[in-house]
Amino acid sequence: MTEKTIAHTDLDRFLDCLKEAGTVYVPAKDEAGEVRLAEASNVESVALAYRNFRMSPKAFFLPQNQTLLRFNEGRVEEPAPPDQGTSFLFGVRPCDARALLALDEVFLSGDDEDPYYKRLRENTVVIALACERPVASCFCTSVGGGPGDGAGSDVLAVALEADLLLKAQTPRGEQLLSSVEDLLADAAPEAIQQAEELIRSAEDQISPVRVDNSAELLREQYDSPIWEEAGLTCLGCGTCSYLCPTCHCFDITDEMRGKTGRRVRTWDCCAYPLFTLHASGHNPRPSAKERWRQRIMHKFRYAVENFERLFCVGCGRCIRNCPVNMDLRRVLKRVGV
Amino acid sequence: MTASQEIETRLRETAEQLLRDKKVDVFLGYEKASLPFRTTPLFVTSPEQVDRLAWNPFCTINLAVYLPRLFADSRRGGGRAEPPPPPTVGIVLKGCDLRAATVLIQEHQVPREKLVIVGVACPGMVDRRKAELALGEHDALGAGEDGEGNVHAVIEDGVEVKLSREDVVAEACLQCRTPTPSMHDVLLGSPVEATDGDGDAGRKQTADFEAKAPAVRWAQLREALADCIRCSACRQACPMCYCTECVMDQTRPRWLGAGTDGSDVMIYHLTRAFHLAGRCTECGACARACPMGIDTRLLVRKMNQEVEDLYGYRPGDATDTTSPLSDFSMDDPQDFLTEP
Repeated sequence: MTEKTIAHTDLDRFLDCLKEAGTVYVPAKDEAGEVRLAEASNVESVALAYRNFRMSPKAFFLPQNQTLLRFNEGRVEEPAPPDQGTSFLFGVRPCDARALLALDEVFLSGDDEDPYYKRLRENTVVIALACERPVASCFCTSVGGGPGDGAGSDVLAVALEADLLLKAQTPRGEQLLSSVEDLLADAAPEAIQQAEELIRSAEDQISPVRVDNSAELLREQYDSPIWEEAGLTCLGCGTCSYLCPTCHCFDITDEMRGKTGRRVRTWDCCAYPLFTLHASGHNPRPSAKERWRQRIMHKFRYAVENFERLFCVGCGRCIRNCPVNMDLRRVLKRVGV
Repeated sequence: MTASQEIETRLRETAEQLLRDKKVDVFLGYEKASLPFRTTPLFVTSPEQVDRLAWNPFCTINLAVYLPRLFADSRRGGGRAEPPPPPTVGIVLKGCDLRAATVLIQEHQVPREKLVIVGVACPGMVDRRKAELALGEHDALGAGEDGEGNVHAVIEDGVEVKLSREDVVAEACLQCRTPTPSMHDVLLGSPVEATDGDGDAGRKQTADFEAKAPAVRWAQLREALADCIRCSACRQACPMCYCTECVMDQTRPRWLGAGTDGSDVMIYHLTRAFHLAGRCTECGACARACPMGIDTRLLVRKMNQEVEDLYGYRPGDATDTTSPLSDFSMDDPQDFLTEP
């Protein structure tokens, strides 16, 4: 499908069309001045100039708390799936959209699909917005993505001066664009050129980190002293993984009061001691050293071995938000990647 | 040479000497981080590495948080093998950090005789979020400090932007009651006067909150915690949270759910506040660590003020006192006891 454009002044009408088909989430400034995805009906003005959201949008696909079963006086009931229809996420950054491809590998590939993830993934349309202004912690171009990468999204939008350039990435995206055909025009060659320049200039602002041979190098580094050093500094909180768009580990617990309760799936994190604690009391990852190694190995080695894909999209949230300012790029460099 | 640069030079000399003379096994300080307005902890074990040590207005992290774990192995009992001997640790501590270390010594988590405390009189550290906000649409590529303590950030195209000191100093520092460490083996920097020695600013914040109707307070508290993602950064960054097994992590029984349901989040924060009553030294590490920008200090501050008013006790003043919640005497105030 060819590129289309929509005038900025028509954005509200575009979103109104989406609202008729489901729930729309758009970037908006909150009281603290942070831009986050908010339900469009509660938003006065859509933000287009922002770096990225504090939280990745993964919670739309893998909620932090998800009730799987309910127990009622000995009866087991599966809660009816929430009837929320289609959700539209407008303004997801390309790195976060790309992360969905990693989550798809975990929850949709192989023999067993995760029905909870699948349901949300199928009912959520992602309209990515290309990055104009990467920040110092961004390194998407080193891990296969880029500020104008459409992978994982249904439509990629590029904000130009007068309008948005829209390009469908999936059949679902094409369908979406044809449903709002009246608002769109075929993109002029100048618009396409302007978008290309904008993306190129964004790419130029990103300092690359070499990770192309990470899996191979990490295979040799299991006993490296680097892990001990990183483990010394790491506080063992879950900030990096809870903010990471590709981290997907979860725990399942039964919350019971008498014979009534629920089985709930919650996010979990490999930095926590409880993550690998056995019922016997033995913990195969007894310290932050083993936990840090696991985090890096999972993203840059095991994921490559299992899915031929890095489980890092270079969004830099773990770098920006680490309470002690650890930077996994430094660790990767030390590994020799 | 700015005051910070002078301190940095002396800090490196001190660390080098301590390591060379084998007075310490490890020296714990700060190193420049990969992003502007930040530093990261550095564990130095050889004199050749001391040039990596930094001192600047971005040394916010409370390094005392690392002390209990550095001594954990040597304090471990019950195993078949003898525990290793405790290490000797050199550590850089600001006024607030020293108060935390004092409580750790008082609570027998850290042996004073195994510490070489390099205290730094601290004029207040920069809150990176304030600095980032002050730059508006711009992003810093680098940052430094001038002779007056103002922050200079380099943004796109090498343009330098001056951020005035008072606009970017952290909230916890503006309320600091003890900027100069009282206990130390070496003191660097000229002593700094507290701007808020009586803690008036903190009391005002508590009073403002208390003046509201209970329903409003409850709603405000719930709203403040609504963004909590239970990442435990506040707990892990807190020097006082050193329990081998935290009650929040216990599974038999599990006292609270692992997720972000309102009641679980509330129990998490209330439990933390109670456990820190009369122990929190108000360094602000929890609020700094929170990736969601939640100021977790309101509740603990109130508990601390209660303890100070009832028992005339402030945590972190001395190592040889007993904290009121670990102590009992017949003339303790009992006004809080009510008839059933």
